[in-house]
Amino acid sequence: MVVLFYSSLAAGMAAVGVLPLLGRRKLPRHWIGWSNALAGGLMLGVAYALLVSARERVPLSGALGALLGILFVNRTHAASGTSELDLNRLDETSPDYGYKVLLVNAVHSAAEGVAIGAAMAVNLSFGVFTALAIAVHNVPEGTVLAAILTSRSVRLRDAAGLAVATNVSQVLLAIVTFALIAAAPGLMPWALGFAVGSLIYLVLAELLPECYREAGSTSIALVTLVAMGMVALLVSLGPGG
Amino acid sequence: MHLVIIVFLYGLVTALATGLGALPFAFVRRLSPRITAQSNAVASGLMLGASFGLVAEGTQYGSWQTIGGGMAGVLFILVTHAILKRYDLEFGGSRGVGARRAVLLMVVMTVHSFAEGVAVGVSFGGGMTLALVIVIAIAVHNIPEGLAISAVMRPQGTSVLGCAMWSVMSSLPQPLMAVPAFLLVDTFARILPYGIGFAAGAMVFMVIEELLPEAYGQDQRHGVAVTVTVTLLAMVIFAQYL
Repeated sequence: MVVLFYSSLAAGMAAVGVLPLLGRRKLPRHWIGWSNALAGGLMLGVAYALLVSARERVPLSGALGALLGILFVNRTHAASGTSELDLNRLDETSPDYGYKVLLVNAVHSAAEGVAIGAAMAVNLSFGVFTALAIAVHNVPEGTVLAAILTSRSVRLRDAAGLAVATNVSQVLLAIVTFALIAAAPGLMPWALGFAVGSLIYLVLAELLPECYREAGSTSIALVTLVAMGMVALLVSLGPGG
Repeated sequence: MHLVIIVFLYGLVTALATGLGALPFAFVRRLSPRITAQSNAVASGLMLGASFGLVAEGTQYGSWQTIGGGMAGVLFILVTHAILKRYDLEFGGSRGVGARRAVLLMVVMTVHSFAEGVAVGVSFGGGMTLALVIVIAIAVHNIPEGLAISAVMRPQGTSVLGCAMWSVMSSLPQPLMAVPAFLLVDTFARILPYGIGFAAGAMVFMVIEELLPEAYGQDQRHGVAVTVTVTLLAMVIFAQYL
């Protein structure tokens, strides 16, 4: 129940992301860059938390899990023809592009669902912490997605709905991952590794490359670092620290 | 032999090990844009992985101090960068933007060696029993750092020997800082988290501001992402098992 509640909360936060779009037709380009950098920094922070907060050595199964995570995202991108897709184009209006953006977002959320589920299985407070970090990160991600959708003349209310809908995979995988680990505790390092590998890979393959096109590298680096630093600070002060 | 000299000599050995990082580049003949991008990606992964480890260690001494040190590290890079921008530099056989990046990297890695030197000294202060293990660990751990420096400098046109030399140079603060840290363990244990945070902040900032955009500019982004992620994880795991 707790897993369902917090992962749903995280998914729902994507709707909050449309708020910056209220009352304006188009978001300035550098805002999109910063939103992505903020989301990416928070994800790197979560990956850091999952990777080192346990202060235990990563076992072989963890390393293999991480490779699987990288492989999973890399292959889904390749299979759907989205490896080099620019996810932030406000001027591209082909239907094909719209579906691809939604699909990429759904895959992205699935990986985060594994992170929430695995963290919940480590212990409750660490799980809640991870879910909240992912929830906060869903806000700027929702903003970016909504900006793309509204520029394709999707109504704001529907954009919010779609932003949440792409995150349903997150709730689903959080619950599945948690249940699987509960049934077979040996899967824990695999799940943690998978989450870490896919999170870091997503930041580097999806979020960061696009940031640099939208805003200067100095401001991108600052936003990313602040987001990472906050997660690292909180995790060392709070659960698991 | 006097204990201080032993600490210094051990520190020197670890510094020399950094030069070994240039070795792989003796076997790479042509430096295509792809190899440049992949080199930058390897350097990024190694530095990010090292920072993950450093932050995890620093927060054990003090979370706020580590974060405070991190902010100072970022500020330091911003200021250094602004100063370097005013001059047309020539460094290690390259000019302009490339030379500026190489100088900045040298500064970052040298500063980070200061923090590591303090860490060595403080751990020696905890007793000499594990000394040799720690020295071997740090020496081996320095090799990828030399690799990171060479991976950025070699594509700019610096010779392999030059890469090795600059790598060793960047680690020289280690023996120099290890000695005072060993003698004044209590004082240095207090500033250690600041130093660690400073080094990590400077490295992560350097990676995201300089190295990654350079890598993305010269290769497909999923290729860059795979290399960075794998090296990052390898670096973290490698450091854990040393």
